[in-house]
Amino acid sequence: MTRTNHSRRAVIAGLGLTEMGPVYGRSSASLAEEAVRLAVADAGLAMTSVDGLLTSAGISGGVGLGLQRDLGLRDLRLLSEMQGFGSTAAGMVQYASMAVEAGMAETVACVFADAPLRPGGSAQEVYSRGRPGSSRGGSPPPSGWGGLLASAGVNGANTMYALAARRHMERFGTTTEDLAAVAVAQRAWAAGNPRAQYREPMTVEDHHRSRWIAEPFRKLDCCLVSNGGVAVIVTTAERAASLARPPVHVLGWAQCHPGRSLERNPDFGLVTGAARSGPEALAMAGVGRSDIEVVELYDCYTFTVLVSLEDYGFCAKGEGGAFVSSGATAPGGTLRLNTGGGQLSAYYMWGMTPLSEAVIQVRGEGGERQVHPHDLALVSGNGGILDHHATLILGSGPV
Amino acid sequence: MSVVAGAGPVSGNDDTAWFFEGTARGEFLLQRCPQGHWNRPQAARCAECDSTELVPEPASGRGRLISWAVVHPRPGTDSPPPPSVPAIVELDEGPWWWTILVGTDPAVLRAGMELALAFERPEGSETVPVWTVAGG
Repeated sequence: MTRTNHSRRAVIAGLGLTEMGPVYGRSSASLAEEAVRLAVADAGLAMTSVDGLLTSAGISGGVGLGLQRDLGLRDLRLLSEMQGFGSTAAGMVQYASMAVEAGMAETVACVFADAPLRPGGSAQEVYSRGRPGSSRGGSPPPSGWGGLLASAGVNGANTMYALAARRHMERFGTTTEDLAAVAVAQRAWAAGNPRAQYREPMTVEDHHRSRWIAEPFRKLDCCLVSNGGVAVIVTTAERAASLARPPVHVLGWAQCHPGRSLERNPDFGLVTGAARSGPEALAMAGVGRSDIEVVELYDCYTFTVLVSLEDYGFCAKGEGGAFVSSGATAPGGTLRLNTGGGQLSAYYMWGMTPLSEAVIQVRGEGGERQVHPHDLALVSGNGGILDHHATLILGSGPV
Repeated sequence: MSVVAGAGPVSGNDDTAWFFEGTARGEFLLQRCPQGHWNRPQAARCAECDSTELVPEPASGRGRLISWAVVHPRPGTDSPPPPSVPAIVELDEGPWWWTILVGTDPAVLRAGMELALAFERPEGSETVPVWTVAGG
């Protein structure tokens, strides 16, 4: 990609986070609206300045084109519903950046919101679609090729990621202790994040005592589920110079969608699309991996973090387990990783979780958990069953 | 040997009728193109040569274990069902097949183990291909 006009280069100028967690009595649309209003106010803008809107709905749906009406936005120059599952948030920033750099829009709000939790419901119920032969209330059994998969219990993210993780463990000797190390390190980071849903200390023994979900995953290998909304405002560096917050420059980006779901795939569980999107995003930013000071990786499961660390090259392929078990990613370690506790301990806002924490860190607003230096961050989104990847390189200034 | 769950029920439809006619005969049908490439049953085109002239042909029923999960029931019932073992099998013919392992102690499983085809017919269901540890 050719990027020449420095004054129009994209920055993130605003961040809005609603209350997140077991927040009941709010629709996802209402949370999305609040997140955008918070982000616009954070940037020091008026709502009338927004001329672009990109929306991302979670599993409960309800966030889409109607948000324009809810926000009272007129004559938008860019409006679309986006979908790349956990890669959507980083993707939205990429499309918004291209739009403002091309002059198609000046100020684009990108928002995700979801409200799947109900009082008394379980987080696992929200995302698990049942076991083989599970009753569907007298309805006929599932049909089609998908029905055959369901009859084998091959459904739901827990099972599919467990299959991926087991393959990594068998090939590289990755252990349940390694998976625990990811969860324990992120809980330690979460202790410094006032927005984190879980902040009490966790040990490897706590991890091992948590119940099996889908081996090799225990409960503490799985992300939590949250209600809430997060929005960012993307505009040009020129526009941001007069706004309220330190601009977070969007320096590089890339995506990779391997497209081999449910096919013979030698890479399954071993190499993800981040192995391609990572180097491309770094090259676009003109920086090297060793220049990165803050790393925010998508963490739907502990395993996702481990394999992503390898694919981005923060450790060698197959050595993710040893790397996290060395304590390298815990507070005080050599790699500042998932510094707000991530989706395992803080809040589950899909790709907005790593993105929001990166914005907070690059701005230097991390409080107790603020890392130093914090001028260059890598953000990774991951969606589907390691099917969709989007990478952002963010910085406190132009490179 | 610990007890694991069997396959759940599945209905046929226009896409899968030919496949379940095969399983009812005790055959696990893949698809072959005129050049002899083997394809998974849901393929519309040959993954190797893009041919659309795919013809059903029974697989050998041999394969190796690529990966597996042990999915535990949600707690809270007095007599919880046993765990199930969804798995990925590399068929001798080449394609990978997402399925369920039955009659197997999950503790003995290792990637690369030889697996054998079997069939189950859950109540109200078409006949479903399942896999076991060969010689187990």
